[in-house]
Amino acid sequence: MRHASFIARTVFVQNNDVEAACRVLNRILGREGILEQYRRTRFFEKPFQFRRRINFEKCKAIYNEDMDRKIQFVLRKNRTEPFPGNP
Amino acid sequence: MFSKQIISTFQKFTSAQSGLIANHNVRSLFLTSQRQREVVDRREMLRSVPKLDEGSAGEKAFEVDALIHQKTDIFPDADTPNRLFNGIPFKNLPIMNIRVSPNNTIITMTDDKGAVKLLRSCGIEGFKNTRKGTNIAAQATAITIGTKVLERGIKTVRVRVRGLGPGRMSAIKGLQMSGLEIVSITDSTPVSWNPPRPRKAKKL
Repeated sequence: MRHASFIARTVFVQNNDVEAACRVLNRILGREGILEQYRRTRFFEKPFQFRRRINFEKCKAIYNEDMDRKIQFVLRKNRTEPFPGNP
Repeated sequence: MFSKQIISTFQKFTSAQSGLIANHNVRSLFLTSQRQREVVDRREMLRSVPKLDEGSAGEKAFEVDALIHQKTDIFPDADTPNRLFNGIPFKNLPIMNIRVSPNNTIITMTDDKGAVKLLRSCGIEGFKNTRKGTNIAAQATAITIGTKVLERGIKTVRVRVRGLGPGRMSAIKGLQMSGLEIVSITDSTPVSWNPPRPRKAKKL
């Protein structure tokens, strides 16, 4: 889908601070996966590369989910005694 | 007898060499342990350091997300096209188009309709071959075209960047250094999620 130019992917420069504006723009592009998609589509990705990438991404997502759950478990705050073991 | 002579000359030679070393105060280097320690330190350091950006600065910095929600005035809205900048509505501001590729940077100045008024590239600037694809070349090009735009009496512009490459940041910085007032930065990199088949990958 085409977006309106100078409305989409646009950042205003404030106080003549161009670098900050660029950083915000690049952060948005990186976060939305636009730059990643651009880099990936420069060259044809062979089917075996595609399979390997997708499998790696799946494994990474599972690992990250588990790790987040573990971290949330350790950091949970609804305990009666916040520091168990302390006198 | 002959072998003795050889040994004596060899000793002389070595002593001379050692004297030389002593004179120049060169230390013998035993770096293995220190280097190993360095590697461990580096690993620890890398773990704490945020991820490096692959192409453009700030691309991997996800933590500062609150800023996007707080500062709403850095993004355009429905009234943006008619907002005045130095007396000119945003939609009528001239556009600086920056086309960045790994091997070159081309900057064109167009009016609000898109008609090209000025064009300058790193190749025209005098940088040839691999030197075209550097940030220094991009900055020099941007400064040249920026001064030309100023000579035409245009002071306020909006910038549109297309593509990824070493000149992406430095071209915008060069435009600013030349004295132009940059109102906004737009990215118009053509990205498709169902593109036609690209060329085959380069062999490494």
